[in-house]
Amino acid sequence: MGGWRQVSGGWGCSGRAGGRGAGRESRGAGAPAPPAAELALRRRLPPRLPRRPGDVYVNMQTDFKAQLSRCQKLLGPGGGCAEICIHGLGLAINRAINIALQLQAGGAGALRLAANTSTVPLADGLEPQGDADGRPPLAQARNNSAIHIRVCRVAPPP
Amino acid sequence: MSNAREKKRAKKMRNQPASVTLSSDCGPCHSGIQHHNGGSRSFQTPKPDLHPDASAAETPANYQHHSPGPSYRKEQYFSKGQNRAERGRGRGGRQNVSQEMPKYVTASTFARARAAEINAMLKAVTQKSSNSLVFQTLPRHMRRRAMSHNIKRLPRRLREIARKEAEKAVHQKKEHSKNKCRKARRRHINLVVEFNRRQKKNIWLETHIWHAKRFHMVKKWGYCLGDRPTTKSYRACYRAMTKHCLLQDLSYYCCLELNGKEEELLKVLARMCSIDTGPTFAAVPCLSGRLQGSLVLYRADRYPEDLLGPITFIWKPKHVSGITSETRQLWIWTHPSLKQDILTELRTVFQCSEPVETCSPEPIVTLLQEEKQTDVVMIVGKKRKREDNEGEKAVPVKKIIGDGTRVPLQSYCWTSQTTGVVISDLTMEILRYRLIGPLSHCVLTEALKTASIQTEMADSETELNNWWVENCKNSERVSLHQRQEAIFELLQGISSPSEIAAGTILGLTVGDPRVNLPKKRSKAMPNPEKYQDNEKVRQLLLEGVPVECAHSFIWDQTICKNVTENKIPEQDLNHMRSELLVPGSQLDLGPCESKIPILLVQQPGKVAGEDRPGWGSGWDICVPKGWGMAFWIPFVYRGARVGGLQEGLKHSEYKRTPHVPNDFPDCPAGIQFAKELKNILLEKFKRRPPAKRANYVKLGTLAPFLCPWGQLTRDWEIRNKAQEESVITSSADSESCATEKQIPCEPKPGQIIEDSQGDVVEEMTQIQNLCKEDGAATSSDFFVLRNRKLLKQLSARCQPSCGKGQRVRSASKLGQKEMTEDALLPMFKCYPRVLVWVSLSLLRKGSPELHAMICIPTQEDLLQLSKDQLFCGPQEPKHSDIFKHKILKLKERKKRETNGKALESGASDALEAKAVEEPKELILGLWPDSLPDLTSHCSRILLGFVTQGDFSLAAGCGEALGFVNLTGLLHMLSSQPADKKGLVLLRTPASLQYRFARLSIEV
Repeated sequence: MGGWRQVSGGWGCSGRAGGRGAGRESRGAGAPAPPAAELALRRRLPPRLPRRPGDVYVNMQTDFKAQLSRCQKLLGPGGGCAEICIHGLGLAINRAINIALQLQAGGAGALRLAANTSTVPLADGLEPQGDADGRPPLAQARNNSAIHIRVCRVAPPP
Repeated sequence: MSNAREKKRAKKMRNQPASVTLSSDCGPCHSGIQHHNGGSRSFQTPKPDLHPDASAAETPANYQHHSPGPSYRKEQYFSKGQNRAERGRGRGGRQNVSQEMPKYVTASTFARARAAEINAMLKAVTQKSSNSLVFQTLPRHMRRRAMSHNIKRLPRRLREIARKEAEKAVHQKKEHSKNKCRKARRRHINLVVEFNRRQKKNIWLETHIWHAKRFHMVKKWGYCLGDRPTTKSYRACYRAMTKHCLLQDLSYYCCLELNGKEEELLKVLARMCSIDTGPTFAAVPCLSGRLQGSLVLYRADRYPEDLLGPITFIWKPKHVSGITSETRQLWIWTHPSLKQDILTELRTVFQCSEPVETCSPEPIVTLLQEEKQTDVVMIVGKKRKREDNEGEKAVPVKKIIGDGTRVPLQSYCWTSQTTGVVISDLTMEILRYRLIGPLSHCVLTEALKTASIQTEMADSETELNNWWVENCKNSERVSLHQRQEAIFELLQGISSPSEIAAGTILGLTVGDPRVNLPKKRSKAMPNPEKYQDNEKVRQLLLEGVPVECAHSFIWDQTICKNVTENKIPEQDLNHMRSELLVPGSQLDLGPCESKIPILLVQQPGKVAGEDRPGWGSGWDICVPKGWGMAFWIPFVYRGARVGGLQEGLKHSEYKRTPHVPNDFPDCPAGIQFAKELKNILLEKFKRRPPAKRANYVKLGTLAPFLCPWGQLTRDWEIRNKAQEESVITSSADSESCATEKQIPCEPKPGQIIEDSQGDVVEEMTQIQNLCKEDGAATSSDFFVLRNRKLLKQLSARCQPSCGKGQRVRSASKLGQKEMTEDALLPMFKCYPRVLVWVSLSLLRKGSPELHAMICIPTQEDLLQLSKDQLFCGPQEPKHSDIFKHKILKLKERKKRETNGKALESGASDALEAKAVEEPKELILGLWPDSLPDLTSHCSRILLGFVTQGDFSLAAGCGEALGFVNLTGLLHMLSSQPADKKGLVLLRTPASLQYRFARLSIEV
């Protein structure tokens, strides 16, 4: 995979990509207090790294075509990127793969793909809805799958 | 037309001497002949005769040489003039006289007559008719620069007049005290005196001067605040909020401190808030001091009415390195417009009436008094300078730090005899800055460096840092400081503040931020190398900041005072900088460097709703007073963009949170705000000519400037009563719908079902009890629904269930709550006059405005929408202006009245009385005060109004926030098909076009 850094996270507002439904209600696990604290689950943003110019974070809200054309522009003559990284998290993995394949199909053999998968640790904030003391944790950890596809040009453009 | 012309002429002739009749006498005969040959009257002037005579008399002759021009012009004018008859009369008389040629002219009488005329004419020439200054009357090519200032630039003949005018102007100008030259005025000491004087009325923030140079300033809530930058930066500020960092000075927020036993405080405070609206003061994470809490305060035992306003609060952490303190300290941060209400309510509830002299504000008071005295010295005489020369005896004038409007002898701290609770008003004692945006971590960590451990005093004489040295002797505390430091360092590895738990508090002691100020303004960028320490960051994200790390010395008044007083002045710092061996190198103050306790509070961004989670999150930083600019400039130099009140408003709009005090129509400050806004808008409306402004009567807009919430709820109540039967049938329908929906969904674990059902039932009985208790009160006034459970149910019902997956999800999410729909309706009916905070996003075109109307679409509208995807929305038919005639009539009558009064003043008493009993004033294009039924005035039924609305840069479409009536909302939802639930129509006040919008309630 060359010198590509293993990116462990970094999803913009990939809205529904990771986990669904904010405000899902769950019960404080193992809360001994009789009126168990009702908790609201609030998704937090996935951790992300500072963005380089060639990083594209795929999400499910933006139009597919727009995301594709953005990648094409980056790879194109004026884009200034020899290689780009397409990151997809959770639900957006499919779309990330789709974009990469579309790029390759449209690139007439000039593009090479290299895919990497990883697991991203996520945190969901738990907000108590009342005053009841269950001493719940502030957040819940969960993991989600992610894909990082490196797209680079094989031959310099004519 | 002719009237206007006459008037114009009258004005022109105003200063003409009455005795002089124009033209005839002085006009030379040829003019008369030449130009009036067409006219029937051929009048002759005595001029031809005059000629030989005139040579004898000198003056007339002189005059005559000059005359042809003007007289000629006058003739011209007259020939064009309208009032020929009049002229004819005048001329006719003269014609008779001049019919026969005089045989002789007596020189003396003739000269006398001419002399009078000449005098009059001279007088007319010297007396200018317009009220312009003399140099303004000069033709353009004779004007010179700075003419008004320097009379020597005027032509000599005008100088005398100009001098007189200038003298007059000087007298008219009000006496101003700046008899000093500019240099003297700008001298630091005089500047400080002047600034101190100017901030006696309105409080200045410490960043005032900085803001005043860059912002449009407004006087609001007793403060001078920056409204918006003078540069064009609307979009740039938005970008800063989303991608970089926006800085705001929130020091005008007021801090109220409560000191007392924990149970005592909680017991009383519980009366002022309700668990229904969310976690209260007693919520465990808040009570321990780990998190900042936020809630809405009500008057004691008055929930859900009598709102006081939203607040945030921070408890001082309980255990300060092992010492368990029984008394707790609580900070309540409020908006200044709500402060007075909350403070008085707190004082009555806690029975705090005894002013405390020895308490915290005392030093400030003395300080202020000192200032006062020095001011007095300054004002009494201008001996200040002399005193300075004499010796250093004079007390140097101090800059006002803190609240400059405080009355020195008044106390700002009260205690209660019975409970021992102490309430103090810490307004302007603690500064608060807000950093919004993902790069706020970078800005914070680059600008602030944690204080170094110091075990020896720099100088035994000063008190500088003595508290810190004391602190550093305790190893436990040193380790605490190191832990805080470690957490602060970790922030660099977190890309957005929204990844941290909402309301996290981190206490810190930092070094002087002015020391490592970069030379140029630069932008702090995240450093990828800092993102390596994954394990610790994960722990921080999951577990939050430990309780003990929330401790800060800023809670200690004496330390704050010490820090404020021992600040190294900017001047000394610059001096030290200039004496560095290598110019431009880092300044190292060593033990002299001040240590400042600060408090960092995480501000959660957008928490409600599905999209853009965590948008607009950031950090609040609390700094002891006096250190405002010392922290401000480093932040700005790290690339933070500064926003004002407008940016704050936009921030809350994009976050879809209610803004204080605009969006709290049921609290006194909100009502006051609405009234002021109405007056401003009305004045603006009235300034335009009637033909150039919107006629709101024709547009069917009943209340374009003020949302009549009271009447809206009342109208819906009446409407609801009238439609009771139909509502019941529809509710039955919806019930059957609900049960249908219930079938496919898999019920969740039984426990929850029971629980939520139990909750609801319990809730219902509770509410019904409540309604019974104060049935009279509920009918008297409206309030806003803030019960979280009810809002959640409502928001679930507002969601459309079109897609299959979504349907299942919503059904499973709502679980059993929809089953209780039939139970819900009567429960909501117990709230007959309730408003609900909703957010709306437009489906297609349109950007909503302030006070836009939210209406219920008819079945046909929805049908048309489903047929045609590009359907923008229906149009409101034009209304007729029924008041236009009345206004015209009134106008006429008034005119007649004034005429009549001019004739006979005594007889118009009856008329006057009539005029008084007429409606106060009718303004063309506005409804008079008594509005008809709001809901059914237009073709679509009115549901509510928009309080904030604009094109949202964050969502990319028009978005609005506002309130709707609960009864109306339920009525609408029950009649809408499942896939079109929550669709409403929006109409801006000055338009007839309705636009479709989706309504949602975010909890």
